[in-house]
This record gives sequence, C-alpha cells and structure tokens, in this order.
Amino acid sequence: MSTHDDTVSLSLQDICKQFGPVKAVDGVNLDIRQDEFFALLGPSGSGKTTLLRIIAGLEHPTSGRVMVGGQDVTYMPPYHRRIGMVFQNFLLFPHKTVAENIVFPLRMQNIAKAQRGERLSWAIHLLRLEGLEARYPHELSGGQQQRVSLARGLISRPALLLLDEPLANLDRELRAEMEIEIRRYQKELKIPFIYVTHNQEEALTMSDRIAVMRNGVFEQVGHRTEVYQKPATAFVAGFVGQSNQMEGKADTVNGSLLAFTWKGTKLVVPHAGDVKAGDPLRFMIKHEDVQVEVASKKSAIPASHNHLPGKLRDIIFKGQTVNYLIDLEGGMEIVASGSPRDMKLSVGDLVFAFWPQEAGASFRL
Amino acid sequence: MKPDSTWRAFITPFVLLTGPGTIFISITLLLPLLTIVMFSFWRTESYELYADWNLDNYRVLFGEAAYRTFLIRSVVSAALTSLICLVLAWPVAYYIARHGGRYRLLLVLLLAAPFFTGVILRIAALQGILGPGGLINMTLGLAGFAPIKLLMYTQFAATIGHIYLYIPFMVTAIYLSLVNFDFALLDTAKINGAGPFRAFAEVTWPLNWIGTSIGTVLVFIPCLASTITPRFLGGPNATSFGMSLSQQFGETGTWALGSAMSVVMFIFSFLVIAIMSLTIDLRRSGFTGVGK
Repeated sequence: MSTHDDTVSLSLQDICKQFGPVKAVDGVNLDIRQDEFFALLGPSGSGKTTLLRIIAGLEHPTSGRVMVGGQDVTYMPPYHRRIGMVFQNFLLFPHKTVAENIVFPLRMQNIAKAQRGERLSWAIHLLRLEGLEARYPHELSGGQQQRVSLARGLISRPALLLLDEPLANLDRELRAEMEIEIRRYQKELKIPFIYVTHNQEEALTMSDRIAVMRNGVFEQVGHRTEVYQKPATAFVAGFVGQSNQMEGKADTVNGSLLAFTWKGTKLVVPHAGDVKAGDPLRFMIKHEDVQVEVASKKSAIPASHNHLPGKLRDIIFKGQTVNYLIDLEGGMEIVASGSPRDMKLSVGDLVFAFWPQEAGASFRL
Repeated sequence: MKPDSTWRAFITPFVLLTGPGTIFISITLLLPLLTIVMFSFWRTESYELYADWNLDNYRVLFGEAAYRTFLIRSVVSAALTSLICLVLAWPVAYYIARHGGRYRLLLVLLLAAPFFTGVILRIAALQGILGPGGLINMTLGLAGFAPIKLLMYTQFAATIGHIYLYIPFMVTAIYLSLVNFDFALLDTAKINGAGPFRAFAEVTWPLNWIGTSIGTVLVFIPCLASTITPRFLGGPNATSFGMSLSQQFGETGTWALGSAMSVVMFIFSFLVIAIMSLTIDLRRSGFTGVGK
C-alpha cells in the first residue's frame, strides 16, 4: 500500500463484513483527514452502524484493514484504540454522576487525579454543563445527557470521535441547536468526527464530506455540495434533497444533452455519457431547481429551458420555503419550491413549470 | 374530598388488592411467629408447655457451649455456601443472559428441574454419590484406592449438599438482574478504555448488585435453617443449629427452648437482610425508581 500520509487520520481498506448470508459492509475504502467532519449517510440497514462499530473495534471486519494514525488496529480491542464514541441512546453509566461519567475515560487511562480535575473542568466548560456535576443521568434532560455523553467522548482528546445518530432522540429544536454546536466543537478541537445519520439535512448541515451508503457500499463520497448538486447515482439523487423523478426513454444524444421522452412529453436533459437512443432513463431534478411562472408570461421563459404547462393544485407553506404542487397535462405532477417572498401565485392558476436544460441529472435504469 | 370518593379512590382498591394476602400472611406467618416468641419465654416439662414467664431458655442457649457451636457453625456454613454459590452462579447467569439467545427461557427453566422432586429424595441421591457406599468411594474402592474420607459425613459434604440445593436461587436472582442490564453499557466502557475486568468491576457488577444481594439472602437464610442436609450428609460432627432446633420440637420435646432458638435464628436472618440492604445505595445501583 501507499506510504502513510500524516494528514490521514483514519484509513479503511477494503472493509467487508458478513453476518451469515448478509453482506453488511461490502468493500469500503475511505481516508479521513485530521480536521474533517465526515458524515456517513444512509437509510437504516445500509451498513453504516456496522461500519462505525468496526472502526470502534466492537466488530471485526470479515476482511480488510482499519488504520488509525498509520497503525493497523483491525484486531486491536476497543479499549486500546483511543477512540471516543457517542450513541443515540446516550449510554451514560446510570450509577455514576455526571462528573464520574465524564472522567471515566481518564480514570481508565490511569491519569493522575490533578490532571483529571483539570480536564474535567475543561470539558464541563466546553459543553456548558456547569452545576450539573453531582447529578445522576436520570436527573438530566435528553439534551443534557447527550452533552455529558459528548464530554465523555471528548475529554481524553481521542484520535477520532464516532457519533452514532446522536441527535435522533432529541426534539427538533434542540437538534438544530446541537447540530451547530457539534460542528463548532469539531472545528475548535480539530479532531476528526465521523457522524452516522439517516437524516440528510443533518449530514448537509454539519459535515465537510459525506459518504452516502446503501446495501453495504458507498454510492458516493464527496464534499457535501457535490453530493447535493452532482449526485452520482439515482439513489443519491433521491436520498439527498427533495427531487422530482421522471422515468422515460432516451431519444437522441446531442453533446452533453439528451432528448428525453417522459410519458409523451419531450424534454432536454443532461446525461453522464454512456447513453444510447432507446435506453430507459430516470431524470431527477431538485424541487428548488424548478421554477414557476403564470401561463400568460410564457414569453419570459428562455428557449434554453424545459417548460411544462400545468395547473397549480396546492401551495405548501414551509416557512423558509414554499412548495408548489403542479398538476401537469397528462395526469403527472411536479413540485417546484421557491422563496415565500415572491409568492404571487394562487391555487388554480394556469402556470408553467420550467428549468434550464442542463439542470438535474439522468440515470440509466 | 367527600368520604365516598376517598373510599373509591383509596380504601376500596387497597382492601380488595391487599386484603386476601394480608389475611393469609397474618394467619400463616405472623400469628405462629408471635406464638413462637411467646413460647420462648415459657417452660416445658415432660412434653408440656407451662406459661411461667422466664429467660431460662435464652440463658441455656447462650450459656451452653454446644448451642454456641451449632450457631456459629451454621452461620459460617451459610456464609460460605452463599459465597461459593455466588462465585459459581455468576458465570452461569451471565452466560445465559448474554449468550443464551432464544434458549434463554429454556435454560432458566432447566434450573428449576431439580425442584420436580422433593428435598429428601435429592439429598438421599447425593448421599448415594458422596457416602461410604456411594458412587465415588465405591469406584475408588474397586480400583484399589482408599476412600475419600472428606466426603463421608463431614461438614464439607453438607456444604456440597447446600450448594447443590440452593444454587438455582442464586442463578435465577442474578439472571433476572442481568436480563434487565443493558450490555451496550459494556461496549461503552470498553470504547472508553476499560479492559474486560475493569469494565466488569466498574459497570456490570455494581449495576447488578441488587440482584446479587437478593440471591445471597435467598441462599443464606434457608441454609442457616437447614436441617435435612446436615443430617443426611454431615453426620454427628456437623450438627447444625437447625438440626438441634428440630430436635427440640421432636425427640426431646423441649418446645420452649426450640422457640427461643427460632427467635435467635429469625434475628440472624433479619440481620443478614439488614446488612445486605446497607450495601445497596439506590442512587448508585442504576435503580431509577427513586428521585424522578
């Protein structure tokens, strides 16, 4: 293999994990840098938690290697790995106080008492847990428990912090607040965080890079904007962001664009190469890439855009955005979203849904 | 609050739910116990009880060396048996709870299998293994070896019998505690740097201490009162407090002295429960039924 790169903190090489006939993880390769916030995004059963447990040492891979800081730790027991971990159900020790829970990793490393005290006050301060030191876990709110769990994960300055859906048990408001907080800790401490979630919003908000996982393999690994804007597969396009999906057939290829027929409607869409006339395709376009204009202003739509006539069936007001549900001719539906500021349409209006020909992405079926 | 609503909200359910049990316990436990306490201050003569109140029974009990020996022997034996049961039962209960999978219930029910027969039959069977003409010593004799004297009518043999009789209680108590224990906490301890032994000492043991101490009490108390096992397996040098006690009510007919012995035994049992409960700090046991 290649020589060790100092900026690489964790390296996974051809990791496979088989449970009986099921391949939970199937050939994963990944390098994570020292200062990175990395999200593992996927639906439940995609293998992301198994992968995290392999990194933590709670499972051994069937094949492949796990390297932390250039050292092969594949078969090293978890208690020698110096990895922190935060769980969805917190898993605080119920018989220990907040302070005892937080210093637990330091005690296990036999660190001197004076230094433990110093680190404890640092962690208490960082996580804003002042005054709760003597409480027991069941006397804390969910958000406080998750903070204690984070403090315990961070106090020994681990080589890596693993987070397994840490916010899934918290209510929405607290979750949004914690998303920002957790990202701040990562940026301040410069410890790589690996964050497992099935929530694409969480992954997009917090992470630098995202791996989208399905059936034990990475569908795409990339910067968050890249994963969002340039999905590599139909699954990624469907899982990240909100998309319209149109299934049809390729007609003629013309450079980077392609004529496409969707239930009798002709569109021009981008393609990723490797497409012939007659191939079945799925075209996907994000709600916010579709714009709406009243039918009378059709002339304002540029010629380089796809445009579909329809009737505005409903307007879903979501606060920061507005979704327009449009019934198209032929019984199809398309969703466009925009800012509520330019909400000048009303339900029942005859409209056009339109978008640039190079927007969205098409995938062979 | 109106009187009839107090009745409906509190008194009626209290009477209906706890009434039958209370009556049963009063008749079968409290009344005989009070009678025994009363008898312990009476006097027996020629198999008759006389109600002249005195402390002679207790004077005899604490004055005569034999009774002291029986008591100390029984207490030490019960403590030792509890300790050995605890050490033997933990791995079994742990294995069933952690690795028993779908066979867990079956394995626990198997622990109850010995109860399908009576105590006397089980102890007699054990005698057939440990005794002079028993399986072990007979085999040794046939092979030309000397018999193991330790197995024949000794305190050691009686202790083996006690362990055999009472270990299912210990396993069950620890198992019931462990099935409610979140083994993911062990993973957490390991990730946070605890090796297997430390993880056990820091997490598994303290969080299952209530179950363990219940098991200890469940073994200690019947072992302290044990009569049949020392008689069948222990022989004359292992006479227990319980054996002597049952003699007072049987052969010698000294009911008053027997009653005093019962009272002493009751006090010791109570002391053990008190000591065990002192070791339990509910806040530090993971028991969340308090506070919130």
